[in-house]
Amino acid sequence: MRPLSRAGLWVGWLAALVITTLAMSLLRDQLDKAHIALLYLVLVLGGSATGGRAVGLSLATLAFFSFDALFLPPYGTLAVRNPLDWLVLLSFLITSLVATQLLNRAQERTISAQRRAGEIERLSILGAETLNAGVATEALDAIAEVIRSALAVDRCDILAQQGESLALLARAGATPAETSSNDLTADGLTEWVAERGLPAVMRGDHTSQVGSRGWEAEGDPWLSQGDVRVLLVPLLARERMVGVLRIMNREQIELHAEQRAFLRALSYYAALGVERVRLVAVAERAEAFRQADALKSALIATVSHDLRTPLTTIKALAHRLAAGGDADARSIEEEADRLSRFVSDLLDLSHIAANAMPMRTELNAAEELVAAARQRLGGALEHRDLRVIVADGAPLLLGRFDLVQSVRVLVNLIENALKYSPADTTVELSVARRGDRLAFEVLDRGPGVPDGEDSLIYEPFYRPAGTRPDAGGAGLGLAIARGLAEAQGGSVSYAARSGGGSVFTFELPAADAPVIEDSSARV
Amino acid sequence: MNDGADTVLIIDDEPKIRALLRDALVADGVTVVEASTGTEGIGAALEARPQLIVLDLGLPDMDGVAVCRAVREWSSTPILVLSARHSEEEKTTLLDAGADDYVTKPFGVPELRARVRAQLRRTRMRPVPGGDAPIRVADLEIDVARKIVRRGGVAVHLTPTEWDLLHELVTHDGRTLTHRQLFHKVWGQAHGDPQGYLRVYIAHLRRKLEDDPYHPRLLLTDAGVGYRFDSEPSAE
Repeated sequence: MRPLSRAGLWVGWLAALVITTLAMSLLRDQLDKAHIALLYLVLVLGGSATGGRAVGLSLATLAFFSFDALFLPPYGTLAVRNPLDWLVLLSFLITSLVATQLLNRAQERTISAQRRAGEIERLSILGAETLNAGVATEALDAIAEVIRSALAVDRCDILAQQGESLALLARAGATPAETSSNDLTADGLTEWVAERGLPAVMRGDHTSQVGSRGWEAEGDPWLSQGDVRVLLVPLLARERMVGVLRIMNREQIELHAEQRAFLRALSYYAALGVERVRLVAVAERAEAFRQADALKSALIATVSHDLRTPLTTIKALAHRLAAGGDADARSIEEEADRLSRFVSDLLDLSHIAANAMPMRTELNAAEELVAAARQRLGGALEHRDLRVIVADGAPLLLGRFDLVQSVRVLVNLIENALKYSPADTTVELSVARRGDRLAFEVLDRGPGVPDGEDSLIYEPFYRPAGTRPDAGGAGLGLAIARGLAEAQGGSVSYAARSGGGSVFTFELPAADAPVIEDSSARV
Repeated sequence: MNDGADTVLIIDDEPKIRALLRDALVADGVTVVEASTGTEGIGAALEARPQLIVLDLGLPDMDGVAVCRAVREWSSTPILVLSARHSEEEKTTLLDAGADDYVTKPFGVPELRARVRAQLRRTRMRPVPGGDAPIRVADLEIDVARKIVRRGGVAVHLTPTEWDLLHELVTHDGRTLTHRQLFHKVWGQAHGDPQGYLRVYIAHLRRKLEDDPYHPRLLLTDAGVGYRFDSEPSAE
């Protein structure tokens, strides 16, 4: 809406003033002072409405003098004969000045409101773009470009915190030629900003200054101190440092209040954009892991099948040879069993490590767990003594656990005890409820765990020094036991047994008996 | 099918394992029929009317569960499954689908022969084990027909639910019944926590029938799968 140039406006309104003055001076005798004042006022208002404050004030001043000189006697001088005319003259001056001011302020408000509306529109478009952009980095490029153009600077970069370092994710504009040779990219200062989460500037003379949060507030003088060429703004998403916004210009960066507010809003977008890039990367990585995991599972299933089937043949053939009196064939059969067990253990360990062991925690009886473990141990107990210790008259001990996995934990602990204790000693298993836990203690008279190795024994493939190479197992038993126990809210712990030996305690969450309607079912 | 010798059908795609099984079973005086695919196996089961089917799960053409179901549609021939997978879920699924026993690879030949013999013996003892004479195990006497249980000559009182449960297990002597099978037979409709009920009732039964519930000899747990009654405690 500005087809007329500023000079044209000035000329036009001055001409209007001259013509009006001439016209009125011709009719001076017929006109009242009020008519003159009113006509001049109309001119002043018209001038300030179209030409702004400067035109309005100039017209008011000129009108004041011509009113005084031409229309208040004595004519041709600035003197005023009738003292009451001063009142008219001053009233005119004050009215026109106040009117000009009011009019202009209203206009400025309108302009500012329009600007703000424009910014909001731009922000909303940008927001939509940010959310829509197929590739997360494209949204950041759009944000960088909007910031660059809105602030009218040469370049805008968005850098993201990636691990220990900063990576340039998006850029708009070119590095100002004069400054690129200097160290005005301010890498060190940018890292500092990322580390501390505070804004900073670098000036044309390479000095830098740190600001504080809230620098965007209207009237904050920080940004206006000196010839600022680089402005660094930390990007925070949910109070977490995610990156840095770097703005560079070949001349001094000056931001008026609206631009600052705009920059603050845009830095939120930039922070969210950076966060989105990070989340996309995380999601992609998770998907890659998932695929790798699915592949691993398929591989494991195939391997276990393809390994166990030939092992069956090997075992059967070895058995036939052994039946024919071949002593070596018996070893082949045993080794085939060991290998099979090792495969199972490795599979379990990989499942536990991947947190993929299926757990069915249900109401189960402690005696069931002990009985099933005993059944599973089968032949291993033929020549060894396992004594189960339960307090006399103990009620039915119940817990919430996965029976299958708990059997494996207990079997592993008992097997360990059998393996590491002399063949003529008894292994004891005590079962008791302790508060809200069921405790299964496996006690042996073996050598115990060497001092300082308490925490090592749960490491896969750990075996105490001096273990016979044919002790069986590969040192996975305790690692698996602990993994399986913890996956169902239980624990496995070791203590030295008084009088020599080990106590391994397997704890599980205890439970109370359910109420059953069949009243005669009580024991 | 000469003079009543048992016929066993082996369905396995591995020729070596088939040969090994055949050698072991023939030594026990059993007639062996072989099939290398599921389809072939189902056909052979129809044709040869075996007393037992040994079914490998790694068949190229069909899922083992499908073979079980197909056979079960018209036959109650016991099925012994061989599997390389050691998962309780799979075992449960197979038992629910009608398999009678389950052996994991790598198995030992003696173990397999024992299982085959047990299945064949059970087939011969049909229709209902203990249907006529009471079952006697150690100091326990279970008279299924008259619903009487005696321990050391003294009558043991069982609640109706406990009796139903025991009856179901005893009439399937030696065979694991899954939690689901037991629950459907004894309680019918599922309500509340079926697993919890079942476990508590088994615990009660053990306290009434076993010397040491921590070392049961009759009511055995097949962890993660179900329970079985075993009138031959030596087969532990």
